[in-house]
Amino acid sequence: MGNFFPRWSNWLPLKLAIAVVFIAFGVSVGIAYYFTPKYTRVGYEPTQPVPFSHKIHAGQLALDCRYCHSFVETSSHSNVPTNQTCFNCHGPGKGNIRSNSPKLEMVIKANETGNSIPWVKVHKAPDYVYFNHSAHLNRGISCVSCHGKITEMEVVRHDQPQSMGWCLDCHRNPEKNLRPLEFVTKLDYQAGDLKRDEFYKSLIDKKVPAGEIATTIGGEGAKADTLEQIVALAEKTYGKNVTQTEVGTQIKKHWQIQPPESCTTCHR
Amino acid sequence: MKKIWKHPEEPQNAKRYWRSVAELDRREDFLKNLGREFPEGDTLNEEERENSRREFLKIMGASVGMMGLASCRRPLINILPYTQHVEWMVPGKSLLYATTMPQNGGAVPLVVTTHEGRPTHLSGNPLHPLGGGLSSFAQASVLDLYDPERSQKPMGAGKELSWAKANELLAAAIAEAKKSSGASLGIVMGGSTSPTYQRLLGEVKAAFPQIKLFQYEAVGGEGQSAASKAVLGADVKQFVKLGSAMRILSLDCDFLGVDPVAGEPISAFTKHRAKDKATVDMNRLYVLENRYTLTGGMADHRKPLAASLIPVAAALIAAQLGDASAKALADTAPASLKDWIAPAVRDLIDNKGKAVVLAGTRYGAEVHALVASINNALGAYGSTIDLLQAPAAPELGTFADLQTAIGGGQVKTLISLTPASLYYDAPDAAALAKLVADKGVKLIHVGTQTNVTSRQAALHIPAAHYLEVWGDVRAADGTYSIVQPMIAPLYDGASRVEILLALLDRKKLGPAEAAAPAAAGAAPAAPAAPAEDAAYTAVRDTFATVAGSLDETKWNFTLRDGFLKGSAYAKAAGAPNVAAVAGIVAKATPAVAPTDDALEVVLVPDSSVYDGRYVNNAWLQEAPDPVTKLTWENAAWIGSFTFRRLGLKEGQHVKITVGGAEIEIPAIEAPGHVSNSITLPLGYGQIGVGMVSGDRGVNAYALRKQPGTFVLSGAKIEVLSTVAELAITQSQNTMEGRAVYREGTLDTFNKDVAFAQKTGMDGHIPENISLYKGQVGVKSETNPDGFDYEKQHQWGMTIDLSKCLGCTACIIACQSENNIPVVGKDQVRKGRVMHWIRMDRYFAVSKWGTHKNEDGSVGVDQESTFAEDNATPEQLENAEMVQQPVACQQCESAPCETVCPVNATVHTPDGLNAMAYNRCIGTRYCANNCPYTARRFNWFDYNKRNPLIDTTVLGMKVGNLYAGPLGEKREDESIRLQRNPNVTVRMRGVIEKCTYCVQRLESAKILQKQVQRDSKDFRVPTDTVKTACQQSCSADAIIFGDLADPNSAVVKSKASPRDYQVLKYIGTRPRTSYLARLRNPNTDMPGADQIAVWSNNQF
Repeated sequence: MGNFFPRWSNWLPLKLAIAVVFIAFGVSVGIAYYFTPKYTRVGYEPTQPVPFSHKIHAGQLALDCRYCHSFVETSSHSNVPTNQTCFNCHGPGKGNIRSNSPKLEMVIKANETGNSIPWVKVHKAPDYVYFNHSAHLNRGISCVSCHGKITEMEVVRHDQPQSMGWCLDCHRNPEKNLRPLEFVTKLDYQAGDLKRDEFYKSLIDKKVPAGEIATTIGGEGAKADTLEQIVALAEKTYGKNVTQTEVGTQIKKHWQIQPPESCTTCHR
Repeated sequence: MKKIWKHPEEPQNAKRYWRSVAELDRREDFLKNLGREFPEGDTLNEEERENSRREFLKIMGASVGMMGLASCRRPLINILPYTQHVEWMVPGKSLLYATTMPQNGGAVPLVVTTHEGRPTHLSGNPLHPLGGGLSSFAQASVLDLYDPERSQKPMGAGKELSWAKANELLAAAIAEAKKSSGASLGIVMGGSTSPTYQRLLGEVKAAFPQIKLFQYEAVGGEGQSAASKAVLGADVKQFVKLGSAMRILSLDCDFLGVDPVAGEPISAFTKHRAKDKATVDMNRLYVLENRYTLTGGMADHRKPLAASLIPVAAALIAAQLGDASAKALADTAPASLKDWIAPAVRDLIDNKGKAVVLAGTRYGAEVHALVASINNALGAYGSTIDLLQAPAAPELGTFADLQTAIGGGQVKTLISLTPASLYYDAPDAAALAKLVADKGVKLIHVGTQTNVTSRQAALHIPAAHYLEVWGDVRAADGTYSIVQPMIAPLYDGASRVEILLALLDRKKLGPAEAAAPAAAGAAPAAPAAPAEDAAYTAVRDTFATVAGSLDETKWNFTLRDGFLKGSAYAKAAGAPNVAAVAGIVAKATPAVAPTDDALEVVLVPDSSVYDGRYVNNAWLQEAPDPVTKLTWENAAWIGSFTFRRLGLKEGQHVKITVGGAEIEIPAIEAPGHVSNSITLPLGYGQIGVGMVSGDRGVNAYALRKQPGTFVLSGAKIEVLSTVAELAITQSQNTMEGRAVYREGTLDTFNKDVAFAQKTGMDGHIPENISLYKGQVGVKSETNPDGFDYEKQHQWGMTIDLSKCLGCTACIIACQSENNIPVVGKDQVRKGRVMHWIRMDRYFAVSKWGTHKNEDGSVGVDQESTFAEDNATPEQLENAEMVQQPVACQQCESAPCETVCPVNATVHTPDGLNAMAYNRCIGTRYCANNCPYTARRFNWFDYNKRNPLIDTTVLGMKVGNLYAGPLGEKREDESIRLQRNPNVTVRMRGVIEKCTYCVQRLESAKILQKQVQRDSKDFRVPTDTVKTACQQSCSADAIIFGDLADPNSAVVKSKASPRDYQVLKYIGTRPRTSYLARLRNPNTDMPGADQIAVWSNNQF
């Protein structure tokens, strides 16, 4: 009996097995990276029919988001404005601002024909997901948490993955994103810009007992009776500047923020 | 250790509850499928059996070949905002409007939910004086709006016409009629109470002084209106105050079902049906009827009585109350009827001023005249019946007058505005069609369907749906109620008001801008502003006369509330003229009791299609009949005596001959049905209306030759050999005979208020020692895993069986709210109905007899009264009927959750048994493990593919569902517009079930968050959120709310001593519980001791 198989083939099964392990690992990593919303969605930046610049309107001119997306605090859906909203400034007989600009041609035409401008959808939740804007905006979640700094975008770009895991990250730890209601549409807000005494005063004005604020900062046993004591305690715990965790924890506790994690929250 | 629960044996000497006779008799075909979730595959129809394996492979091969990998690119989706802002419109939020659904002789006040301009769901208008729940017809009418097979184009003699041509023809007919000042013109109206119709009819009459006006409704109350006119006076309306009536006797009046009386809503009646404290009074209902109706099911005492003998029964009561004119007729009554009526009438007399007798609208003038005399003697007028004086309306001729006018050649052009279909449902419709043709009468038909009348009419004009038009209507108490459009007419249909306006030359029918089509690519012209709309102007003018002036504030309030406050009819001044009764009774034809050789045929409106007008409504067709549980068609209901005498099988065809006409129809055995009587539901057997209607069922109108008659005597029946395959749901999703229904008499309740909680094993349930520790109960220090009642809502529901009628309106409300698909007859036969609510109808007989003890009490015999262990026909004829709606019970310790391999069904912190469709992989373990059989499986993509049609694949005809991806999709159908955008449209292969309308709960919570903002006040205001079934319930039987809110109605309801949980002993801890039914029998009635014994003997 001669050797039918050459010697090197003795190691073939092992080599194959090792190769398969590497390939499987590579495929897994590839799928995990390329086939998930982090890659497939983030960065999506379709050209819009009208070259509307959020950077100019929301950034440079500092229009509030809710000027155009007017129902975002009352409806599940953040509405895209009607032509009338555009025409409040650009319309003939109104502000008349740059009403001759070729960029506005489509808006003017849409107004004449009554046909809508076919804006391209950037953020798309699957059909079985019922996201509600008003539930978030009324409870201290800013636009920026999900949409990024729209104020700096010439063309709107998909900034966050908006996958289920990403949603749950925040629902489990909302304090990372909570902010006082007046800053919800201020996209460049930083917790550090807040004045500590003003923030705690606003809580006390809302009739939150000082003791509760103190325990939220320092845990069980921490005590404070006055605003000064609270501020001193916070400074000791969080450092000189106000931090996001500090603000978020207080808000979560005193507004009773309990982000639901059950299926029916989004799937009905 | 696995613990296997033993279901307790049903006590042999207690009352037996069963759904079908096969179940009661433990027949083999029933036992075979017992315990199966779905019947075995032998319910395949002929066509499917022919599909061999080879053909199957061929189809599959082709399907795979045609499938490509879905494109990996992100699809481009556009957002199309409004160009001009629409007032009140907030994208993503629903808008509610109040409107009214016109009905024969009345109105149904509605609130319409619209999403971006699409009406999607209807509910009762709680502001309206007659507001409450909805009937299944009203509930389902929103689907008719989107019916893709609605009449869309005018037709002339069956050929499609343009609107211009139709207008031309109409104008020519009007011009012709003008010449004879209207002498050759006739108009047939329906039973509408619209003030605008009446005003415009007056104007039409002024323009055409010789015009002839008629009224015709297929299932009409001609006898009732004749009697009412003679006895009560012209334009006097009865308004029955059900809430004041503590004793009600119904002479085949299904006032809780398809034969509503003008009066207070049903909730006024059911208010007195339940009792949670010993101090409250209950009302009492006596019913005489030939078949079971919903009203019969609610009765405290019910006697099956041939419909032919209803006049005799009326006479008997009248005679006992001293009406001499009734004596002759009363004497012909059989002894058993006399024995039954005597104590009942004594009870009515004892409750003078609180009693009322009602008669079915389909009976003749003599019955209604006698009933007027009875009610007068009982002092009902002024106490339980209000007599209201309606404004004088134009005189309308009857159907007999119409026949005479056509036959005599006086009418040359006939405009039909009635919702009935003359050539289908008129008495002797074929003869009428021939007469019209022979005399050269031009029929102008206005209707929403392309039925036989539309096709044969000289001119057919598509009618608009009531949700598309301006109009008005008077409710039963006369309240002026508005009909306002929710959407522009989808198919340019004309409203009936507009037809009258066209006659007056004030309106051109058809699309507004049809004459000058806009340039290609340009936008469709904006809808005409309401101010320019002729119908709108007409309604405003009427409003001005009703309200006194055109007060804009009042008008706006009317639009907002749906009605004008304080616009009810005034009370009538005169007293009933009882002297007129004798004359009417004397004219009546003598009643003949049916015999074995000369049976009676009783024509009744159907619970699904009414008189035939809802025949193309798939929701109604698939909703099981409340009594027979038959879907998608009609059948002859035959009592057990006759059924067994003829040796019939279920679904076997019979030929029924009466008065020279004959029909062939499948027969079913109907417990509670009187012998020698056949009940035929009307409205089926219409051809060419659409794919939902198909040619299903049999046209029972064919037997009717005389106007106003619905009881035909002298019928012959012949048994045929063929057996029809009927889709009856009564044996599907059974509870396997476990004792789930609890009831007692008032006596039982007074002895022990908590009797329901001690029935069966409930009194001695051992502690649950299962190793599975689910999240159950209220969270506390001893129960840290329990539900948090402090920081969460905890949803719960009660269903009051004392109040539930079993009308199936909740099923349809649920279907409308939750996007539940229709599956079609074949799938229903296979047990694949998707309804989340199952209306379990049980019949009940007592197996063992009773005897009188020495001390006068009644004891139970120890011997079965069944013949050969089967119930006797007599027992079946006197069976009781009860109804129990069952949906997901939202168990705290849910058996379905533990078996799901993918966690697709899990519990939420607020106590819901949630279902994540996108996680479900369709193992159906959960459905198998559900002791309430409340879960439904999507066997096919019922939403994507029309289950009602066949497709041709590679030359073979297969059911559309079975064609897979080669089947016809239905994505462009207008039906899609009805869908609720807040509920997922489920795909094939997932389980679904009742969610307690979680979309409503979530939006209520979010609404509260908008109010809460930076405070802690998270709790939704008490009882502000309602489920769809609760909203639709006319009987107020369903109560839903937050168990964690001590003020909520559901907490109070759960505290009732009648509260019990179904299958409590298995420890599922359902959140839905039931309140046991109470009956209030009269101890003097024959059979009363039996009722009491069987109720008291359950525990």
